[in-house]
Amino acid sequence: MITGSQKPIQEIADLVAPYDRVLILGCGTCVKTCFAGGEDEVAVLASALRLYFKRTHKELAIDELTIERQCENEFIQEAAAKAGQNDAILSLACGAGVQALAKRFAKSPVLPGVNTTFIGIQASPGVFTEECSGCGNCGLAVFGGICPLTRCAKKLLNGPCGGSQQGKCEIDENTDCAWHLIIDRLTLLGQMDNLNVYIPPKNWATSLSGGPRKLIREDHII
Amino acid sequence: MSDNAQKPKITLFHCLNSFCETPALFEGCDANIVKMACSSMTRDIFLLRAFEAGADAVIVLVCKEEACRYAEGSIRAKKRVDYVKTILDDIGMDGERLAIFNTKATDSDAVREIIHTTLKKLDAIGLNPAVNYYN
Amino acid sequence: MISNLQKKLMNKEFVVTAECGPPRGANKRVIAEKIKLLNGHVAAVNVTDNQTAIVRMSSIAASAHLVAAGLEPVMQMVVRDRNRIAIQSDIMGAYSLGIRNILCLSGDHQKFGSQPDARNVFDIDSTNLIRTVRDMRETGCDMSGYTLDEAPAMFIGAAANPFADPFEYRVLRLAKKIEAGADFIQTQCIYNMDRFKEWIKRANDQGLTDKVYILGGVTPLRSAGMARYMKKRVAGMDIPDKVIARMEQVPKDKAALEGVQICLETIEELKGLKGVAGIHLMAIEWEEIVGTIVEQAGLKSTGLKRTEG
Repeated sequence: MITGSQKPIQEIADLVAPYDRVLILGCGTCVKTCFAGGEDEVAVLASALRLYFKRTHKELAIDELTIERQCENEFIQEAAAKAGQNDAILSLACGAGVQALAKRFAKSPVLPGVNTTFIGIQASPGVFTEECSGCGNCGLAVFGGICPLTRCAKKLLNGPCGGSQQGKCEIDENTDCAWHLIIDRLTLLGQMDNLNVYIPPKNWATSLSGGPRKLIREDHII
Repeated sequence: MSDNAQKPKITLFHCLNSFCETPALFEGCDANIVKMACSSMTRDIFLLRAFEAGADAVIVLVCKEEACRYAEGSIRAKKRVDYVKTILDDIGMDGERLAIFNTKATDSDAVREIIHTTLKKLDAIGLNPAVNYYN
Repeated sequence: MISNLQKKLMNKEFVVTAECGPPRGANKRVIAEKIKLLNGHVAAVNVTDNQTAIVRMSSIAASAHLVAAGLEPVMQMVVRDRNRIAIQSDIMGAYSLGIRNILCLSGDHQKFGSQPDARNVFDIDSTNLIRTVRDMRETGCDMSGYTLDEAPAMFIGAAANPFADPFEYRVLRLAKKIEAGADFIQTQCIYNMDRFKEWIKRANDQGLTDKVYILGGVTPLRSAGMARYMKKRVAGMDIPDKVIARMEQVPKDKAALEGVQICLETIEELKGLKGVAGIHLMAIEWEEIVGTIVEQAGLKSTGLKRTEG
């Protein structure tokens, strides 16, 4: 899932302040799961902003709606009516959703209410961790299912570095050393030979470094 | 200005086992009492809407954590109250307006004391700033 | 034309290298001062590359100043700040400036440096860098396979940390770096001699010390405060409590002397260890002490041969 956190409320208030009628649009998929922009979060943010603007004597009408996903037109079009009724849309979706709305509702200013961060998992209730950086050529089979490009702070392919101590990364005592995890896992799997092989430099052309990517599936295009 | 004659509005959320509703305890304020089947029904949106509806202070009463009949209700309520307090601070409403207490249904003296403390706090921080202005 | 460092190591001398940090500015006179303090005492001097991610004069430029002054540098290169294009370009440039030794490193994460807001690179890792430098030397081609107009023939170094975890994997990692092309190794500074002895024993047992020259890192402590700081805050450092205690038990004005004493004792032990080809003396911002230590350890210039058996 894509993880994000709601922007500080003061920043959001400053973003919407120039408008008279704002639609807060939530998303029911990734951002709902990480408690940043689902239906509940839309309601809480709307209430908080109403209180803020009442206190600061500003007339601002706040509308609320949550759709299943903001990355597909099928769902985005459900927001068309409300989009037309408001001066601006504050989207609580990830950056992709914000941009999809902007494409679809070209005449409405679309404002981001969430800081999109990473592709990750819910490791335990309320705790989310970054796992994948979308390199475009997955080598997880070699590394026992732990990604060194994402979870190693230095993206080492032939790790660990000299800063790994007691299983923790030098950058933060709360961050596991990915290479320590990889070694433990491969040991458990009896696959430590994977690490005796020299791993050559990564071809980054398939990642964002090679330019923004596009996926086209002809078999699904009519 | 008629505000001086106005009684402060307090909304009180409580789980069934933490409070026995006794009107006499609420002298000096306009009380709005909301009963919950379990303290885990304490949701961020309800607390904020209470302020939108004009509450000057919101009190949440739950059982002591070890005594919570549904195991985690009190813990969840506390976490959410703490979260909403930070929202209140961030929007300039003052998180002090919202507080959670561990009480027992049999102990009405404790609740009387809580109301008293809350009213004193309101004297210090003022009434709800999102409603007390004049067009 | 091979480097002085390589020559001495091949000649089985017990070699001493030191370290020099470039200034935080364009002031080359600072380097001239450090050169004066180090020249004549050691085989070569490491020039650090934006160490601890604090912006300093570049390693390649400072190394070129050393070459001009007649002091042989070991140019350190980290992969944190440069992609493979800049790396290969700098290696060729360095060689053309007379630089003959390179130490290939990952680099400290920028989080703790002077620019934590910078975007790091890590296009290739330190092992890839070792292999790249070796391939440039051995095949005369760059990473794309293009035949170079004069191939840089560097003497290649890598770092090893016997004090990082997991301990069991550290010797495997050493083997991997040697396989990739490391000619010499400089270790993290040694205070925990027991752990170092265990590590070098494993390296010996696996025949790794026949394939690579290992220089044991040593750093003289200046004060008890420095010892405590390094123990707590420097990644990959192992300073046993008994060493801290020794520093704490002497009066403050005698602390530096005690630090030098501990350093000399460490050097003495290293001289007697099989597999240790020399020392890498990192007297951080204390270059004046290098000459003293080299002299008192009986390591002045040529002469002492390393332990074989």
